[in-house]
Amino acid sequence: MVKHLFKLIWNKKKQNFLLFSEIFVSFLVIFGVFTFGVYAYKNYMAPMNFEYEDVWVISYTNPLKTENTDSLELFYSTVKQNIKAVPGVIEASYQSANFPFSMSMMTGNIKANGRDINPVNIYDIDDDYAKVLNAKMVEGRWYNKSDAVNNKVIVINKKLKETIFGSGSAVGKYVDGENAKDGKRIIGVVEDLKTEGDYQTVGYGAYRRLDTAGFKWIGTMLVKVKPGADAAFEGRLYKTMANSLKNSNVEIEHLNNKLTSKNKFTLVPLIILSIVAAFLIINVALGLFGVLWYNINKRRGEIGLRRAIGATGDSVSWQLVGESLILATFSLLIGSFFAVQFPLLNVFDLPAIVYVISILLAVIFIYLLVLICALYPGKQAANIYPAVALHEE
Amino acid sequence: MISLQNIEKVYRTDTIQTLALNNISLDVAKGEFLSIMGPSGCGKSTLLNIMGLLDAPSKGSVRIDSQQTNSLGDKQLAAFRNKKLGFIFQSYHLINDLQVLDNVELPLLYRDTTAKQRRELAAQALEKVGLSNRMKHFPTQLSGGQRQRVAIARAIVGRPEIILADEPTGNLDSVMGNEIMDILTGLNQNEGTTIVMVTHDENMARKTHRLVRLFDGSQVQ
Repeated sequence: MVKHLFKLIWNKKKQNFLLFSEIFVSFLVIFGVFTFGVYAYKNYMAPMNFEYEDVWVISYTNPLKTENTDSLELFYSTVKQNIKAVPGVIEASYQSANFPFSMSMMTGNIKANGRDINPVNIYDIDDDYAKVLNAKMVEGRWYNKSDAVNNKVIVINKKLKETIFGSGSAVGKYVDGENAKDGKRIIGVVEDLKTEGDYQTVGYGAYRRLDTAGFKWIGTMLVKVKPGADAAFEGRLYKTMANSLKNSNVEIEHLNNKLTSKNKFTLVPLIILSIVAAFLIINVALGLFGVLWYNINKRRGEIGLRRAIGATGDSVSWQLVGESLILATFSLLIGSFFAVQFPLLNVFDLPAIVYVISILLAVIFIYLLVLICALYPGKQAANIYPAVALHEE
Repeated sequence: MISLQNIEKVYRTDTIQTLALNNISLDVAKGEFLSIMGPSGCGKSTLLNIMGLLDAPSKGSVRIDSQQTNSLGDKQLAAFRNKKLGFIFQSYHLINDLQVLDNVELPLLYRDTTAKQRRELAAQALEKVGLSNRMKHFPTQLSGGQRQRVAIARAIVGRPEIILADEPTGNLDSVMGNEIMDILTGLNQNEGTTIVMVTHDENMARKTHRLVRLFDGSQVQ
């Protein structure tokens, strides 16, 4: 019977072309939505690898005009001590503007093992950054005061380490040069910190220890506070910062609020795309339904004949559903051919598994859609009275 | 072979009811070639549909090959039609998107047969109606007479004991009509197939064993 249906569909290829095209285009759109969704979900399921609850960001403008870096370092060390001295503050760390869930980014490249990795997110931080975020080390250690005398050291994230060094150890190896003279020695590998939000992937990361000159342009401090810190506490923190930095604009934000804002950058396009796709699907469903309904009315004579020569109502119904599913299979085969080009050509630099899952989901979705749209017209076809249908012709 | 007892068929709508068949009792013997005649709207096709189990009588019983059919369900009726009955229609009812051979194979699709068996049986049926050379043609490439011969091949491919023909020569000229009648007569005489034929044509009816006339839903002869 399947062969018979294939033959019937093939011989009616001109009539079926519109339906074929409709299913094909729908598949590609659904594939796109699923790819976006699966990618976001996969990222969402990945661990954050740091704690952002009760971490606040103090942004400030640098009020000092001095060019003396030692004076700058001394001044900002004092500011940090003042902040840490506020009751309720657990830890504090300076960081470049690309703090977690910010809209800023700073990228560069890292050369090692004959490879040039680009882009790498560069974070300028101080010795307390890992403590503020409770970031875990995969190997080696985080920065400490002993690194002040030798600034040719670096901490990288796990993803960068695995790309450059594979599963082997990275501590003690060099990047951006092959020895102590030219390169930077890796002292630690930190977990992949998902600092771009719940739905974004972790990129390559390199953490540089702030040197004395860095304070000229640093304007952010991360502060870990005790749970339950309230507005009164925030007021005290603000006053302390404002008093420490005269003539500076100070602003305090909470990382969990920043995360919510950041997530919207992924969710809003996904929701818009889903709404557009939903309208398309409704149109396709109505189109499929209409075409199948029309086909059944056009084929009443054939349906009557099939009943006369031995088809049951159910077999007529399933034949029509089967035809729709076979037609969908043709569309899905062509659609899948185009869809697999995305991982093969690495079009958007997404993991291949995201595309594979999206193709499978889109195939299942289209089959379900076609099945649902074909079931009712199929059922109606089964109810066609053969004597009447044969007489109409 | 076919026994109709007190068949009555009433079509009802919300406002009116029409008596299409009124107390028809008819027996068709095995190997008989029976023709049914009557003016348009007298119930000929309705009677044939009831014999072919395509329609159920409002009253009365239909017995085919000693089998009481009134209580059969959809699946049993379909199987019964497939094995026991062959249909020929005035407008052929061929599927234009399928080649002649595929059209003839159709009844066998609803049986437990292999593709090879279907091919062989369909080819044999086409040979019987003299259309072996048209197997790969589509119905639209054939003349009316050839199409009706394809329809006959489809009706006999499953080797049914009964053929029900609803004005098989109605759309054909006399030459082609005679050709079709010759084939039907041959099937009846050589293979013992029981044939019930509805016709408007007295000449064709005269070639059958027995003639039944209907008028306003009642049997008048």
